[in-house]
Amino acid sequence: MDFALTEEQLMFKEQVLKFARKEIVPRVREHDLEARFDRQSWKRLGEFGILGMHFPEELGGSGADVVTSVLAAEALGEAGVDGGLTLSFGAHTYLCADTIFSHGSDAQRQKYIPKLARGDWIGCMGLTEPGAGSDVASLRTRAVRQGDRWILNGSKMFITNGAIADVAVIYAKTDPSAGHAGISAFIVEKGTPGFTVSRSLNKMGVRTSPTSELVFDDCAIPVENLLGQEGNGFLMAMQTVEWDRSALLAPFLGAISFLIERCGTYAWEREQFGRPIASFQAVKHKLADLKIFLEAARPLVYRIAWCKDQGRPLNHLEAAVAKLFIGDWSLAPTNDAMLLLGGYGYCHEYDVERVFRDSRLAPIGGGTSDVQKVLISRLM
Amino acid sequence: MNFDWTDQERSLRTRVAEVFDESARQELDLMEDAQPSELKEIVSKYLKPLAGTGYLELAVGLPDRGGMTALIAAQELPARISGSLFLSVEVTARIFAGLLSVPDAPEQIREILEAVSKGEIVGAAAVTEPALPDSAAVMTTAAWPDGDHYLVSGRKDFVTNGPIADYTAVVGLVEENPAVFVVEAGSDGLLVGPRIRTLGYNGLAVSSLELNECRVPRSRVLGPFTDGAVLDGIRLVQDLILAVASVGLMQRTTDAAKAYSRSHERGGKPVAAHQEIRFKLAEMLTLTHAAQLLTHRAGWMYAEAEREAETLVRCAKVFAAEASERTANLAMQILAGQGYVWGNVVERGYREAKYAALAGTTSEIARMSIADDLLTRYR
Repeated sequence: MDFALTEEQLMFKEQVLKFARKEIVPRVREHDLEARFDRQSWKRLGEFGILGMHFPEELGGSGADVVTSVLAAEALGEAGVDGGLTLSFGAHTYLCADTIFSHGSDAQRQKYIPKLARGDWIGCMGLTEPGAGSDVASLRTRAVRQGDRWILNGSKMFITNGAIADVAVIYAKTDPSAGHAGISAFIVEKGTPGFTVSRSLNKMGVRTSPTSELVFDDCAIPVENLLGQEGNGFLMAMQTVEWDRSALLAPFLGAISFLIERCGTYAWEREQFGRPIASFQAVKHKLADLKIFLEAARPLVYRIAWCKDQGRPLNHLEAAVAKLFIGDWSLAPTNDAMLLLGGYGYCHEYDVERVFRDSRLAPIGGGTSDVQKVLISRLM
Repeated sequence: MNFDWTDQERSLRTRVAEVFDESARQELDLMEDAQPSELKEIVSKYLKPLAGTGYLELAVGLPDRGGMTALIAAQELPARISGSLFLSVEVTARIFAGLLSVPDAPEQIREILEAVSKGEIVGAAAVTEPALPDSAAVMTTAAWPDGDHYLVSGRKDFVTNGPIADYTAVVGLVEENPAVFVVEAGSDGLLVGPRIRTLGYNGLAVSSLELNECRVPRSRVLGPFTDGAVLDGIRLVQDLILAVASVGLMQRTTDAAKAYSRSHERGGKPVAAHQEIRFKLAEMLTLTHAAQLLTHRAGWMYAEAEREAETLVRCAKVFAAEASERTANLAMQILAGQGYVWGNVVERGYREAKYAALAGTTSEIARMSIADDLLTRYR
């Protein structure tokens, strides 16, 4: 065993931290308050090269490995970038663009990846439906072949980036009798007749990331917009889980480091009973618990990333363990951080309540904690 | 980064695994009801084959990266099978021998270390004193030079392996500086107190020690040292051992709960089919993975002498100790009445789980130290 990061990885993480603190973090509060997607920050992320860093250079990326991608995502959280922007980034890069990259034809890759890697286009992924979440086989959106077109009908729910996306990877049933094997993936571009965003949701946290309901009403797309093989959609969706349990969890780790910094700084500034509250054991206890959770969670996430770098198939047990641990065991320390700041912790301008709200997504998004327990208990 | 075992780590694991077959498991279960004389016999019986694997001589003295990670990889095996044997062996091989492993040790000390690595002796370490559970810096055990000897007097508490040790490393002060006195069993002036009956780890022989002008030849004395570094290092090693012991305990109780949940039926199906049971198992496994990886990373950091090593070891110890309490609690709930019956793995684990949170660096002291390290960065 060896947990060392390379010099390059550490340097890159440091660069991302600096970049994010300067270019993005100053804009976070305003956008979170207004629940508004930050296009300027998005543009900067694209220019910096984060949005497509693991793609090959010829497609606009820099060929980063998965561990480096995880470190970059962690650095964003650590810098204080809100969970909304990191979620938009995660859904865009790993759930949408990477699926096109991994399963698309050369033509599809050439057409979409460079635009997505630069951030000129925004991507989203549509799997969940109003009536189908973790039970993927029950999804009802239909795709029917008619000549040289596929006709999509149905609706998608909780779609990150839905309202702002230029391109969507949409999962639909092509053979309703075939269960998982009857699901296929399609590329649908914004503006395609019959494709509308019916509403955006008002959420507790990750507010700068628009979450929307998508509606497909006799939406016709060209046959060449089928992604990969017909019937392979479920497998493709499952492959995104590798990213979901590594690069998409990483910002939650970073956010804990951010809280440690906020709490550590505040503990020295804030004086009560004639001394900084940093000298009170109850304050130290909370700080220690943040650190203990962070260090326990880190290797679980790094393990998923490292295994992917080795080209190994995802270990679903380990992935579910990482997701469950970060989801459920982050609740208490993020609450502690808010309590440590007392009244200020409850107020927007101290950022801690934002992290508290953002991190409440961890046990819900991408498969709830209960669903992780179903998986773990089945696999163990 | 590498989450796999290296060849060196895997090979030690394999060799250590061979020491513990099914009959070993049954025999080690008997430790919990054994008298000190029998305990000495059982521990000695396992020290010999462990010596053959190279397990006993690892990570003693200066941190050595390959040795430390191989050790942690291998420690999980005995820790999972018998916490009592594991702790008894580790006190001999890592704490006792660790206190003796200083550069340029006298010949007699090196011979004793050699005997440890060959599995020939059981060692104990006497650091804690009745009134001073956590600060080794202000101890009352003291020694005076007397020709070629030192005369050591004082009282030590909670000496693991005390009643069965061939040698005990006693930490005492010469004037104001700590020194380590290696006292042979049966020495004049050494009084081993009655075995202390504890809540868990009943297969460990623990006692107090009293030293009344106990004569120790200078050839068996290390120090006096000008700082407490040797003791701080040992405390860190002890905390790592307790983290590994906690992971072993979690694996042991999770294994037992899983097996029970498959064999025991309610409502016409195994209780494992009910979410109220299987979700508990999922939580137990998740905590075990987290504690295990955190302990691995802390051990690696210790071996690499990384800046945050001390904090990581404390994080691992606190987390693993508390997670093992939670896991044992859930396991007991799964086994219900069967778990509550005296002497089964889960009941024993439930009692044992409290130990790691209060032995070594207590969770309270550890948390304060973790926070203090963080706070220095933001002052």
